[in-house]
This record gives sequence, C-alpha cells and structure tokens, in this order.
Amino acid sequence: MFSVYSWVLLFQIHISQHSGRLFPDPSGDGGKWLDAHYDPVAGLYTFSSCVDLADLSGDGESRLVAGDLGCGASAMKLKVYRGTALMSESALLDLPSGLVAFFMDLHQPRIPAVAVASGPCIYVYKNLRPYFKFTLPGLEVNALEQDVWQQVREGQIDQLTLKEMLEGIRRKADVPLSVRSLHFLSLETNEMDQFIQLHKQQPIRRQTVITVIGTLKKSTADEDGVSCLVIGTESCDVYVLDPEAFIILSKMSLPSVPTLMDVTGQFDVEFRITVACRNGNIYILRRESDKPKYCIELSSHPVGLVRVAKNVVVGCTDESLQGFTQKGKKLWRTLVPAPITTMASMDLPTRGFQAVLVGLANCEVHLYRDKNLLSSIKTPDAVTSVCFGRYGREDGALIMTTRGGGLMVKILKRTATFDERDSAPGPPPAQSVRLNVPKKTKLYVDQTLRERENGTAMHRAFQMDLSRMRLAAAKAYVKALESSMAPVSSSAAEPLKVNAVVQGLGPSFKLTLNIQNTAAARPVLNLAVSFLYDEKLYRVRTPYLRVPLLVPGLVYPLQTFVECTSDKGVSDIIKVFVLREGRSAPLLTAHINMPVSEGLPLA
Amino acid sequence: MEVTMDPLFLAWSYFRRRKFQQCADICTKLLQDGPYDQAAWSLKTRAFTEMVYIDETEVDQEGIAELMLDESSIAQVARPGTSLRLPGTSQGGGPTQAVRPMTQSGRPITGFVRPSTQSGRPGTMEQAIKTPRTASTARPVTGATGRFIRLGTASMLTNPDGPFINLSRLNLAKYSQKPHLSRTLFEYIFHHENDIKNALDLAAQATEHAQFKDWWWKVQLGKCYYRLGLYREAEKQFRSALNHQEVVDTYLYLAKVYQRLDQPITALNLFKQGLDHFPGEVTLLTGIARIHEEMNNITSATEYYKDVLKQDNTHVEAIACIGSNHFYTDQPEIALRFYRRLLQMGVYNCQLYNNLGLCCFYAQQYDMTLSSFERALALVASDEEQADVWYNIGHVAVGIGDLTLAYQCFKLALAFNNDHAEAYNNLAVLELRKGRVEQSKAFLQTAASLAPHMYEPHFNLSILSDKIGDLQSSYTAAQKSEDAFPEHVDTQQLLKLLREHFAAL
Repeated sequence: MFSVYSWVLLFQIHISQHSGRLFPDPSGDGGKWLDAHYDPVAGLYTFSSCVDLADLSGDGESRLVAGDLGCGASAMKLKVYRGTALMSESALLDLPSGLVAFFMDLHQPRIPAVAVASGPCIYVYKNLRPYFKFTLPGLEVNALEQDVWQQVREGQIDQLTLKEMLEGIRRKADVPLSVRSLHFLSLETNEMDQFIQLHKQQPIRRQTVITVIGTLKKSTADEDGVSCLVIGTESCDVYVLDPEAFIILSKMSLPSVPTLMDVTGQFDVEFRITVACRNGNIYILRRESDKPKYCIELSSHPVGLVRVAKNVVVGCTDESLQGFTQKGKKLWRTLVPAPITTMASMDLPTRGFQAVLVGLANCEVHLYRDKNLLSSIKTPDAVTSVCFGRYGREDGALIMTTRGGGLMVKILKRTATFDERDSAPGPPPAQSVRLNVPKKTKLYVDQTLRERENGTAMHRAFQMDLSRMRLAAAKAYVKALESSMAPVSSSAAEPLKVNAVVQGLGPSFKLTLNIQNTAAARPVLNLAVSFLYDEKLYRVRTPYLRVPLLVPGLVYPLQTFVECTSDKGVSDIIKVFVLREGRSAPLLTAHINMPVSEGLPLA
Repeated sequence: MEVTMDPLFLAWSYFRRRKFQQCADICTKLLQDGPYDQAAWSLKTRAFTEMVYIDETEVDQEGIAELMLDESSIAQVARPGTSLRLPGTSQGGGPTQAVRPMTQSGRPITGFVRPSTQSGRPGTMEQAIKTPRTASTARPVTGATGRFIRLGTASMLTNPDGPFINLSRLNLAKYSQKPHLSRTLFEYIFHHENDIKNALDLAAQATEHAQFKDWWWKVQLGKCYYRLGLYREAEKQFRSALNHQEVVDTYLYLAKVYQRLDQPITALNLFKQGLDHFPGEVTLLTGIARIHEEMNNITSATEYYKDVLKQDNTHVEAIACIGSNHFYTDQPEIALRFYRRLLQMGVYNCQLYNNLGLCCFYAQQYDMTLSSFERALALVASDEEQADVWYNIGHVAVGIGDLTLAYQCFKLALAFNNDHAEAYNNLAVLELRKGRVEQSKAFLQTAASLAPHMYEPHFNLSILSDKIGDLQSSYTAAQKSEDAFPEHVDTQQLLKLLREHFAAL
C-alpha cells in the first residue's frame, strides 16, 4: 500500500488585508457584459484547468483560486484573488496540472478545501493552509533494472556497462524504465559518475504523473455535498479518491492518457466520467465497469471538453466545435474562426441558461449555445483560461486570464438577453459580387470580323511563321546545346544546374556558384569549374575549382573572389564553365554580368 | 582671296548645330591666341557642358546607401496611400499580381523603363547588394558615384592633357562677380566636372552677389544641395526660387525632393499647384501620372497619361504606359493600337516588336504574331532582351500547345539570361509534366531564390511538395507565396487544406 504521511509546512502564507470591490464599468460587448476589472500586468499565467471559484472563508463571498504556472523568473504559485486584489499567494513545489475546490467533510461552517495536482501528488489546502499531501501509488519497477542498479550499488559494474545494459532493457522490456535510469541515459559520460554516486543508494521508484483532476459528489447532489476527487494519470488510469481518508475508492483504466475530463453524478449512486485522451478519442466511463463504456473517435485532437446539460461539447484543433450525446452520438459540428485556446461552461441556474465559452487565438471569446453563436467578446490579448461563476457577491462573473499574464473580470448584466441567431445557410456573399470583366470593345468585334473573313489566310500565315519559328528556335537551341550555353544540363549522365550570385560593391566581389545535381538518385563525380574572363579587367583568386561529389538534390555553394583591376568604371561578362575531367567541352556555362566596381572613386 | 569666316562666329554656328567637338576645337585655338577671350572661353565651357548634359529633372538614381540608410523619411510605418515605400496597397482596383507581373519591390510593372521603375526598394541589405547589380541594370552604391562617376571619367578621357579648367586654381569669388561668365562656368563645373562642392561655392557666392534676388542661382543652389543629399535645404532654395519666378523646372526639382523625402502627396499637390500656373504642362502631368503609378494607383495614373496625350499626342511614355495597362486589363486589341501608334512615330526597337507580337497573339491576330517576334529577335541589342523575347515566344508556344517549342524557348531564355526566374519557373512546370520531379523541384527552388518577390515559384513548389507528400515544405512554400501575394485565392485554399491536414488525426 502507499504511505500517508503528514506534510511539513515549508513556506509562508501572507494574507493581505486589502478588501477589493468590483467597480462595474459600463462598456461591454453589445451591452451584455460590464467591464469590472482588467489588469494587463497581473502576472497570472494559467489555464482553465487550474482556475476555480470558491467561497474559501465561508462569508458568502466567492474568491478566485488559481494555480499560477509562472513565467520565466517568477515561480509557480497558488494565488487567491478577492475582488480586484490579490488576497494571498503561496509557493507551489511543482507545476500545477489541475486545481479544484471541493468539500471534504461535513463540518460547519461549510468551507471548501483546495486540491492542487502537481507531479504525482495532490496537495490539499484548507483555510489556505497546507493540510494534507496525497501521493499516487508507485508503479511496478522493471526487475532487470532493479538488478542492474543493485549490481552498481555493489560496485560490480562500471558506468559504461550500466549504460549499455539500461539501453538494452529500454529497447526490449515491457515495463518502461524509471525516471532515474532515463535521466542517467541522457547524461554525458563525464557527468555519469557523479550521478551514480548521488543516487545509487536510493531505491528505484517509478512514479506516474497526474494529468487531470476533477470532483465527483459522493452521495448527495447538494451544492455543498462532500465530493470525491477524480484524477487521471499519465499511466492511463483514472482514480476516485475518498475525500476524508484519501484511499482509492475505485480505479479505472483507459486505452490512452487522459488530457481533459468532465465528471457528473454521484459516486454512490451513478456517475459518468467523460475523458478526452491524447490519442484523440473520448471515452465515457460508468460506475459499473472499470473499462470505458463508450468511445467517440474525433477527427482531430481535442483542446476543450465541456458538458452542457447531458451533451458533451468538444473543441478540436481543426478549429471546430462538436456536440455529442452522452452515449457518444454526434449531434452537430460547427466551425470557429480561429484556433481554440480554451473552453469553459457558462451555467446560470437562476435563469436556466447554459452555454459554452470558447476562447480563440484571434483574441475573442465566443459564446455558443449548441452550434449557434450567441455573442462574442473582444479581448486585448489571447485568452488562456476562462471561468464563469459566482465571484464576490456577483453570480454572473466571467474571469479570464490572458497569454501575457493579464487578468480580466467581466460581469453579466442583469438585463442581458442572448438571442438565438440561427446561422441558417444562405447563399455566400461572394455570389452577389459582380466580376470585373472588361467590356468587349468595338475594335475587338471588328477584329473578329476580320478573323472570320480571312480565317484561312491567317491560319496559313501563322502556320508558316510557326514552322519558321520552330526552325529558328531549334537552330538556336542546338547552338546553345553545342556550346553548352545553358546553365542547366538535362543530359542523362550529368543532370546539373548552376546559378551564380555576385555580391559586393567592388573592386573585390564575392562570386558564389550554386551547383545542384538534379538527378533522382545518382551522385556526380569528377567535376571542375573554371572561368573565362578579360584578364585586363578581372583577376579571379582561384581560377580553377574542384567540385566535390554532388549528392542529388543538395545545393553546393562554391565561392571565390574576383578583383576588378580597372579603374575606368567598366564591366564585363565572366563565363563560368562546369567541366568534366578529361573532356574539353564544358557541361554547363553560366554567364555572369559583373556589376560596375564602385570602390575606386574614393582613391 | 578667300574670305574666312570669323572663327568665333563659326564656333557659335557649330555650337548651334550641336557639333560640340568642332566648336570646342575652334575655341581652344582662339584661346591659344588670346587667353583672355571671355567669349571663346564661355562658349567652350558651354560646348563641353552640352557634350555630357543630361536632363537633371529626369534622372534620379537612388543608390544602395540612400535606400538602405534612409533617414529622411518621416514615418517608418506610413499609412497606406501616403508613402512610396508601401507597395501592394492598391487603391485603384487595377489588375492583381496574378494578371500583371510585379517588380521586385512589389509594384506592377510599368510600360516604360525609367530609372526608378527597374528595381525599387529592396527589403534587406542582402537583397540590395545581390544579383541585379549587373552592368545594364546596375544599382550604384550612392547617388554620388555610379552614373556620375562614369560621366566624370568620360570627360577625363576626352582631354588627355588634363582638364580644360583647373578648378583648384580658380578664383571663384572673382568669377561670381561676373554674371555673364559665372553661369556657364557653374554649368560646366556641375555637369562636366561633376564637382558639386565647388559648384555650390560658386552658386553661393553668386547668389550673394545678386543680393539673393536671382531665382536661377537659387535653383542651382537647390540642385547642388539635392546632389549632396541635403533635401531640406534644397527644398528651401527651390521654394524661395518659386517665390521669385514660376518656372516649370523648379516645380519638377521640388517634386523630386519631395519624392526623395517620401512625401508623394505633397509632390502631387505641388504638381497640381504648378498646373494652375502652367495649365496642360506635359512634364507636370507626367510627373503626377508617375507618382500615381508608383503608388500602385494604376487607374488614375492612366487618366493622367491620357491627359498627357491630349496635350502631346506623341508622348512615348504615356502611349507605352496606357498600352501596357490595356494589355494587362484584358484589352490587348486596344493595346495593339497604342503600340502601333508608337511604331508609326518611328520607335523601332526590339521591345516594341515584342509587345506587338504579344498583343497580336492575345488579340487573336495570329498572322502578325510570329513575324513580330522574328523582327524583335532581329533587333535585339543585348542578351537580356534576347532572353525576354525567347521567353515570350515560349509563352506563345505554351498557348498553342507546342510544349517542345516552349521547352526550347525557355531553355534559350535561360541560356541568354542565367537569372531569368520566370523562365526557370515555367521550365519547372514543363519538367513536371514530363514527370521529372527532382529537376522541377530544383528549378522552382532556383526561381524562388532568384526572385523572392514572385509568388508563382513558391506556389508551384508548394503544390509539387503537396503532391509528393512533403506537407511540411509545402506549407512553408505556401506561406512564402502568401507573403508575396496575400490575395491569391489558390494559395489560401492550399494553406487551408494543409492546415486541415495537420489538424486531422
């Protein structure tokens, strides 16, 4: 079994006495939202899974609890906001992967605890004080690996043998290596010894990591009923934990790693856990079985999962929003204008209103009911987390944090109504745009008349001209081929291409020849490059270059320097020949129009 | 006894008949006899000046240094429609890049080659000092070197025994007191010797002598400041000169200053102001049309070119620009009219026949097409022209489905101009049809590296990579294509498809 031990208080918590109040500012989007608070430099970097709203002191005023992932220099923190002010913050030991507020006992006053999942542990805070730490049970360790480390401890094998053996195990074994062995394998040789000395005495453990966390009411559906914690792990398991004793009540396994989770129901009666997994499938777990009951296969990866009443709404990376029944039947699919960053549900029980909030990468937050867009909010930055619920004494508060670490609070107006606009498909607007086709002129009509009358003569003239042109082109082409004038050779033996670039202002120029072998698979050997130029004007530093073996498809830049020796401000052509060893006729020729040298007038 | 003509009169007559060398020779002889003959001296300076004279209002070459190290522009990120530096913000609703090719700077190509139309502003230093600096399309380092140096050396070559006037020994203060000598001397120093500093000295002293009331000297001062890159001072001088005397030239110089300062709107207003004083002045109208063209507003540019033609119906630039605009807006039969007009006016060169051939082909006058190209080939003056003609013949060959001929033509285009990116691109498409994927890919990559402003190679490469299953390179190429031509629908569709691919499981 796993160990439960008390968790030492390591850090200070300071609680500020500043009492914030929300100041509504009437400038909302479409008059539906009031801007209550916006702090662009709040320094709160978090995701929707690490944000929750809870009445942490039992005074009827809701606080915002957020697990701050930190950014650069700033470390991970657990932050609590009250009104517009940061009420308390305490350091976290590791990156939080999820945060929930839940009732763990029946004591009065009803004050919820906060559970922060990070790494393999869940840290439970009560009254904002560390209360309990729960660690997931360790996984099975590879017996061979254990043997190998045992031998190391006894000094029987050295580090290189250890490395070899571990690599062998990694390749073959069914049970993966522990983190320590993997870390060891990634080390440089000179660091290995120190690592071994440091760690060899400790026993090997293999730990999994929590990926998602959620809550499940234990036996009653009351708002303040005791809840179990539901956690999904990297080892593809889902655990349900007892809130008081922190023992595992139920364990279910999935075919893939869970990334998003939604839980509904009561543990003692009937529950349903909807889990989106890393393989792009959504699995639905029920009370009876420890295997998924239903599976939804998505067309792309899910980025958000929200339950609205009995349906599941999933946002995918292909910029779509999809609705499913709780049995996995697809209901609808709608496209959103930009990639989805986050999703949250908006539930107003007093009005019987349920919808989905979708944060988009184009700095907008859209509100959808089913597939219909109800309203959209523009934000100054892309939103990374969205949370809707009771904040302070306000029931309809929308809390968003932005990519730049900003915190934004908006309040839903009491008078706001959301009209269902049905996006019925009509003709696309482009259909009514007239194409700008120029009118046919009278001249054109005259010319067509001429064409009609003298069709035969025109055709004959054209055909004769065409034959002449073909001959002229063929002659010129043959001449070009014979003298290898083209910079492209398509001969079967050496399909090559060369192009030259001149850089510099003069009198010294840098000449770069890009040679490429355009054959499909065969390399070209034994090539050389030489230059033809007016020796009165130019001096080439290396007039003969050997070309290395040319691997197909790669561009080989050959560089040399050209010096202009004339001060008359004239320029000439330099011819570059690509030659095959033992043959006098060049394979290719490139003509370089040299620029005028401009370095001289200063003299 | 033979009555000899007065040699000075003879020299003067030669000068008027633009036989400057003979004129200068006679003057030299006169000066040997009487070194203090001011008339001969003045005439000789004028003859030398005329030999190398280039219209200052027309020529404007921005060097690399001016382009890359430009500090005179006010807004680094100007609003669209207020800067010459932001191409691609088409307001005129002209044809897109898919129809009308772009220059390197992202402007649609124009119908008439002017110094500023060839290369535009490069994006990076690397791009600036790279290939296009060949002998025919060289971009000099600075405006002070480049062309002016070549002119300077040319004048040195004509006088093997040293310069006619030794500037370092000249007492500029003395000459500035003599209005009849100082002007010719100034022009000589400015145009022939290309010694701007001394010219500025002389102009400054002369304008002082004229009690700052002579507009001519002010314009000359402005020209000197402009050459030295002191645009604000030049603006001041030109403005002041305009207060004294309204002259068309001064308007043109001042507009040049504003264009250099990247204030096209001010330049346009100035031209319009000039048109109030000189209604229907062709050079001012042309200036307006050019600015509109540079700002990608082809429709209004065409309107102004039409105004130009109303005043001067033999204006080659206007005819060529209107013609090319008609060609690219799918009215080749009208373009044909304009080019034929050029032919009637006596323009007889390779480019014109090439354009005529293309217009004939697209206006379905097939009997004229290939004969025009033949003539164009007979008239080529350089390898680049030859390459372009072969490239266009290749297009015709593609149009009639003769892919062998097309292949040969594109190869020939490459043989004559190794940097012909369009030919590389088209050749790649032909190679792909033959099933030679590797070749095709190599050509497309070359085309893309030679002309990063063209979207076609990127797009073709993207499609090619998509077909052979290399989605990652397809995506990067498609993104480059999107950068070059954001409105290209096919690229966007391809990108969308690829994104769906990447998102799918």
